[in-house]
Amino acid sequence: MFKRSLALLLSGLMLTGAMAGCGGSKPSEQDTGAAGSDSAQSTTDPIKLTIAARGGTHVDVINSVLPAFESENNCKVEVLGLEADDLKQKVALDSKNAKGAYDLCMIDDPVMPEFCDTGVLLDLTAEGYKEDADFVKASLDIGKYPYAEGDVYALPFAGNVTLLFYNQDVLDSVGAKAPDNWTDVLNIAKQVNGKDGKVGYVIRGQQGNPIVGDYMPILWAYGGDIFDKDWNVTVDSAEAKAALQMYMDLLANGANYEKNDIVSAVSDGKAAMSLGWPSWYISGGAATASYARIPGKVDASSTDQPSGVIGNWMMGVTANTQNKDLAIKLLEYLTSAETQKSAADVGAVPTRTSVFQDTELSAKYPFYATLLDATENSRVRPRTPLWSQIEEAYGIELSNAIAGQKDIDTALADAKAQIEKIVK
Amino acid sequence: MKKSNKLYAYLMSSPAMLVLTVLSIFPLLFVIYYSFTDYYYLSSGKPAFIALENYTDLFADQYFRQALWNTVKFTVLAVFFEVLVGLGMAVLINSVKHHQKLLRTVTLLPDLLPPVTVALMWQIMFSNNYGLFNNILGLFGLDPVNWLQDVGTAFYCILVIDIWQYAPFVFLLLYAALQSVPQDQYEAAAIDGANAWQRFTRITLPSISKNIIMVVLLRVIDTFRLFDKVNILTKGGPANSTATITQYIYQYVVKRNQIGYGSAATVIMTVIVLILACGYIRENFRKNSAQKG
Repeated sequence: MFKRSLALLLSGLMLTGAMAGCGGSKPSEQDTGAAGSDSAQSTTDPIKLTIAARGGTHVDVINSVLPAFESENNCKVEVLGLEADDLKQKVALDSKNAKGAYDLCMIDDPVMPEFCDTGVLLDLTAEGYKEDADFVKASLDIGKYPYAEGDVYALPFAGNVTLLFYNQDVLDSVGAKAPDNWTDVLNIAKQVNGKDGKVGYVIRGQQGNPIVGDYMPILWAYGGDIFDKDWNVTVDSAEAKAALQMYMDLLANGANYEKNDIVSAVSDGKAAMSLGWPSWYISGGAATASYARIPGKVDASSTDQPSGVIGNWMMGVTANTQNKDLAIKLLEYLTSAETQKSAADVGAVPTRTSVFQDTELSAKYPFYATLLDATENSRVRPRTPLWSQIEEAYGIELSNAIAGQKDIDTALADAKAQIEKIVK
Repeated sequence: MKKSNKLYAYLMSSPAMLVLTVLSIFPLLFVIYYSFTDYYYLSSGKPAFIALENYTDLFADQYFRQALWNTVKFTVLAVFFEVLVGLGMAVLINSVKHHQKLLRTVTLLPDLLPPVTVALMWQIMFSNNYGLFNNILGLFGLDPVNWLQDVGTAFYCILVIDIWQYAPFVFLLLYAALQSVPQDQYEAAAIDGANAWQRFTRITLPSISKNIIMVVLLRVIDTFRLFDKVNILTKGGPANSTATITQYIYQYVVKRNQIGYGSAATVIMTVIVLILACGYIRENFRKNSAQKG
């Protein structure tokens, strides 16, 4: 009887506990990560700001410059380092809350149209932000919505653009210099491939984002694109077919590796050339391979096109922040020339012309000049909220082509049909 | 049952029922509801009811059909080989006279590793630059194979990894079952002159057949949700040859916030898993009834 009574009592307690757990008590300010409105904040209690950031070096960069801002503004800043997909999802989920858990967030540049279109980000221009001409124009344009023309919603936090990486010793072994057009790239690949077991050119042909990002510079160099100016799908144009043929010729004179293998192969002199993001090869002032702007020409006589894929990490203020003014101030601080200079040694990659051209920093980080040139001659992936869907479908069909499952015409026709279905 | 006993039974099970309702039934009902809407998470408007449009779009989508086919093919092959290998290991280790505990522990190790660790570990071994397997091929003068990027090998590489990781799980359950097979049956069979194969097919298999069925069902349910390995190693490629339903759902729900469309795909997957799990659930109910009876 005693056991039964005890069991009933425990059962009742558990039920009560479970119901209490489901109750609708208001979350405290600490729970939500927001610190209440600026005006409601006690004059002595530090305000808490939260940044949803891309994990890794970016977090180190932010943390390295925070103490000065925190003491000057009587605030505490928490930086959450998240994986890219996780970052996007968390910021998107939080955007529906009346009081946001995040005051600032980092945004991968292809996500900008979706986050601006759906009101995730605060319109900085509407809040009185004045454009700063010191930012590289190609980078600042990404933060505007509509692209390059509208209000500013985010500022360029970390510079990034794809470059051509090559092994100088391998090129020397066949008497070649760094190529500035794709015909030369292919010719060098042909000379190198198979010689002493070396690989001519390495593509990053993994389905999805990798293959699309790896192929687009060639597509642009050939004068092609995914959409024309009226948003008609043009992935099966004559230029696109020629570009894909070049891409497959490069594969035929090289290999298809994933990122880590690409970096080690080119760095170790096992492969001659590849495209890639600077952080793969460059750390501090040293680089494990030589680098140059991605060729924007088909051959020596053709017109030079902007061909590097710009991939800046942007930073914006969330529309549902409870600390708007301080968040904007922190954003301006984190993207200021002084901050970019002081954080360069921690791994910050600038987005401002004055920092790129700073004499002291340029001497220490010789890749700045190439990066600035490449950024000024870069292109953005199509500015549409539907980009991730388009990229997925396009990536599958490009993968079909290089895997030999479909011929070029069929793969690109299917890609066109799929993209048209997405944007209809 | 007396009225007071019924009340007691309901009260005792109520905390579990409440947790089940909040954590499982409620979300499932929401998923079913949203699957009939065009719910896009970031939209400012309310989701519109679009009846079966998500479902018709799904079945019209060649990528979804391919992901579905890949998942079914993968599940059948993976479960078959996992049970085969796991059963072999269980019988072998059960017959070992010395160091059985050590062998049992070592055999279980792959199953204890997180799927992400497993995927990264095999990615290094499959590397077509400095990978172990290509180095071995090189010793025999063979050309390297692009294991995870070749349409002819990528699917089977992931299959091998899955078998490597989960055959030990099968081993664990079947090994436990083998412990309960009465030894006197084997002794009697040996006196009657039965050979090893006859003892295995006439005594061992019939004795643990119910356990095998349970293991098959558990593995089918789990394998159908294959995600981590594909997402890390191939992203569904090359040529969509390793795409799975879970990865398809991930693309729509997590990366694109298309909750309505993703929910429809989730409902389809849940229905398939439920159909596959029917046998297991029925068996459990039958056992419970038998115990009560």
